Amino acid sequence: MSSDGDVTLLLRRWSDGDAAVLDPLFALVYPRLRQIAGALFRGESPATLLQPTGVVNELFLKLAEQRRLQFTDREHFFSLGSLLMRRIIVDAARAERRDKRDGGIRIPLDPETAGTTVGPSADVLDIDRALEELELIDARKTRMVELRLFLGATAEETADLLKMSKATVDRDLRFARAWLIERLAGGAPAG
Amino acid sequence: MDKHASDDASHWAELQRLFHRCDGLDDTAIEALLANEVADLGLRERVRSLLRSARCVTSDPAFTTPDTSAGEAAGFSPVSIGPYRLLEKLGSGGVGTVYLVERILAETKVRAALKVLAPHAVDASFVERFHRERRLLASLDHPNITRLFDAGTTEDGQPYIVMEYVDGLPIDRYCDEGQLDIESRVRLFLTVCDAVSAAHRGLIVHLDLKPSNVLVAKSGIVKLLDFGTSKWTQANGESTATLVATPAFASPEQLLNRPVSTASDVYALGATLYKILCGRAPFGNISGVVRMEKALRGLEPESLARAAADARPRADRAARRAHQELRGDLSTILETCLRSNPRERYSSAEALRDDLERYLSHQPIKARPQTTGYRMRKFIDRHRVALVVAVLVVAVSGASLADAWVGQARALREADRAVRMQNFMHRLFRMANPDYTAKPVATVAQFLRAGVRNLPAYIQDPADLRAAMLGLAESMYESGDTDDARAALRQVLALSHGSAAIGSRVEAEIYLAVIDFDRNEVPAGRALSAEAFRLAHAYPVSSRVRILTDVYYAFNEDNNGYIKPGNLALLRKSAHAAIADHLPRNDQDLALLDYAADADMQGHVATATRIFSLLRQRYRDDPLALCDRANVNGWLAWIDNQSGRISESLPLFREAYDGYVQCQGPASAEALEEVPYWGDALIRAGRPAEAVKLLEGALPTWRRALGDRSDQVEILYYLSRAYSAVGRYRDAQPLAEEFLKSLRNRLAPGSRMFGLGQMALAQALVGEKCYAAARPHAVLAVRILAKSAASAYGLHVEREAQAILRGAATTAGLSSGCSS
Repeated sequence: MSSDGDVTLLLRRWSDGDAAVLDPLFALVYPRLRQIAGALFRGESPATLLQPTGVVNELFLKLAEQRRLQFTDREHFFSLGSLLMRRIIVDAARAERRDKRDGGIRIPLDPETAGTTVGPSADVLDIDRALEELELIDARKTRMVELRLFLGATAEETADLLKMSKATVDRDLRFARAWLIERLAGGAPAG
Repeated sequence: MDKHASDDASHWAELQRLFHRCDGLDDTAIEALLANEVADLGLRERVRSLLRSARCVTSDPAFTTPDTSAGEAAGFSPVSIGPYRLLEKLGSGGVGTVYLVERILAETKVRAALKVLAPHAVDASFVERFHRERRLLASLDHPNITRLFDAGTTEDGQPYIVMEYVDGLPIDRYCDEGQLDIESRVRLFLTVCDAVSAAHRGLIVHLDLKPSNVLVAKSGIVKLLDFGTSKWTQANGESTATLVATPAFASPEQLLNRPVSTASDVYALGATLYKILCGRAPFGNISGVVRMEKALRGLEPESLARAAADARPRADRAARRAHQELRGDLSTILETCLRSNPRERYSSAEALRDDLERYLSHQPIKARPQTTGYRMRKFIDRHRVALVVAVLVVAVSGASLADAWVGQARALREADRAVRMQNFMHRLFRMANPDYTAKPVATVAQFLRAGVRNLPAYIQDPADLRAAMLGLAESMYESGDTDDARAALRQVLALSHGSAAIGSRVEAEIYLAVIDFDRNEVPAGRALSAEAFRLAHAYPVSSRVRILTDVYYAFNEDNNGYIKPGNLALLRKSAHAAIADHLPRNDQDLALLDYAADADMQGHVATATRIFSLLRQRYRDDPLALCDRANVNGWLAWIDNQSGRISESLPLFREAYDGYVQCQGPASAEALEEVPYWGDALIRAGRPAEAVKLLEGALPTWRRALGDRSDQVEILYYLSRAYSAVGRYRDAQPLAEEFLKSLRNRLAPGSRMFGLGQMALAQALVGEKCYAAARPHAVLAVRILAKSAASAYGLHVEREAQAILRGAATTAGLSSGCSS
């Protein structure tokens, strides 16, 4: 069974850039988180998972407990959180897989509109796929989008976590959002 | 990865550069730019395509979110839930969707708000628990708390609650739209505290207080929503309170799933007030996770003042004022609410309310301020006059400090020393404050004594220590605690070694001499005074110390009967020097005052009047010089009275008396001292009835305040004379006797006061026709008063005594039956 020591060790290795530990790390942390998510999920609108009072907070709390309140490397910590959140939501969407004509499981593309019905949204599985493509080209922007979409961090907080200026984050996100929307719309360039 | 994505990867940087350059341009400009800079047609089209996507909002059906809020997941809107007809959807949020509903009850339509709870917010036992705790909720019958009517489950099994419907605005919007000023906002918030207190007394916590749960109806009445519901919406098992609370307003313990209490509501109250006052939540625009991180790390929000400066950048006057208000007490109050540790917050909503009320009435708040200078400033605001004594301490050790405390900005340039002094004063004031100490010091005397005791711990520099100690001693003297003052002055002497300390030694000796003179220990006083005089002229001391030494020395010599013309000359020279050397205002005034008094003593009445009038001018408009002004008016009245200008003296006496009453109170020795002289002037002005009224009125106060331990017994004499003047001899006699008796232990039988007493007694006895009894008193009076008839007044008194003696003598034979 998972022990806090294992988790801490894996977290450290992941922080040091060892991407290979991510899967064993998930294996250790994820079941418990998925359980929490599942208990809250119950066929509800998956957008609920992203509401500020929802699973995200639970997840964060659990993670923090695992890490024994170490906040020395905030970027990695929050990035891991958003990665986990992304996986939870995607898994939930797969489990609840509905016909796309029902609208699928959609999440808002602008985190500020989470929990409301305004603003653009997209199917979780589509977003996940588009992000996988983006990851191959620009991992940094993928982290940025994940922080915003799955962890609900504000633009300022994202800039702060990634040690970038707010203006840079705004620009990068604007580009990333346009790129993602294009991918999601299946938008192939005319020429 | 498909083709386009891999193409993008090959010119990713270029794509981004072009995107950002074109972003915001119109189509013509974009085309021009692309034509100019990009040869690759494919890349041009990629840029165009991305720009189109960037402009995409919601027009594309692929990006339109279907409404999936609770109760509508099945794709239709219900028209009724249970017995309630749905009229309008009021909103939906984290815990469910709220509808305006109506129900027909006894032919009356009743409107209510119905909230369908999202499944994640409640567990199966919800309805059961609602009914179980319904009785508890019914006890929560408060005008500012919305009432809960009912609970049930929809046909598809979703729980709902029904509550009182309020047509109003969230409190923060209400305040902003009505453009309420800070004070009105705080006042409105008091009601919120009241409602929360009432609920807490019923052992019901809210746990989700926030502006949107505090509505202000159009009628202006405040209504708190959702009281008591959060407790049931804490679902079982996996989910926790974190699910329910709103991170921006929730306490850290709620966010961290730790035990909650009424202190959690106090936190939320603080967060709500924060939003009301500065337009944003305590941590501003913050995501749930970062808020969580702050909670985990025990971080507290930035100070309200800084937040307010950011949030309300309007530069108008009202905003500036608001900003100023937010810097002080309100900031402290909010910080106290928003402490991470529940035990460091206000103990209750009521305690918070009390402090807000104190803020509104400009009293010191109870929340412990972060800076030490705070309480001092507030204290001085309210007790300016009473505090003059205490500020004297500071005035001696550095005028800049006193200024800082009374709010003038010359402030803390000597930072280190200033801070130490401030800490010291702060400590002192805390000792005097019942909020801090179970047994607060009650009197100025205790206060100053505590000061002397604590001073060495705060002031290391010996010169500063001596100066501060001298200041305290002076204050003790001024508040009548001569024993304490003496002890403190001896301490200063003990600390004054070497030539560097000559200044403080001289000052201490002078004050000790003054105390000796007050106690009639004239030889000791003269010796100290002469020693100080010698030192001040033998060693290099500051001009201030030398001038003051000269003033005290010369005046004390003359005042104790060792009158020399040289003393008056020295006083004149000192007064000029005090002004020429720009000594502190108080010192200049002292030199002038002693010069004038000495001139009067030496019979230079015109000089005395001129200088006293000058002082009167200097004290005018100075709110801190009430007592000084009264003193000068008293002198001028006395001079007029002595010089026979009786009617001119009367308004001055009144001014002097009123001034002392204002600055020291009607029972003060100073105010009571003016009464007999004023009474005398009234008698001599031929208005004895007014004199009786004045003196009679003051007598009980005098007995209570000073009575037999006083050396100011003239009131007995003058009232006796006033009674005789209106023919009330029977009342006059015992007062004259009391007067004489009180002198017996203190004065030589030949002194002038004795003569006056004998005269008053003789006059009363003559009035009662007890001529034989009156005669020896009259004889004694004439004998004594003849010696002191040098002045106009003395002459006048002597003549009076002679007349009384004649009255007693001529009719002596007729008085054998008199009982006295």
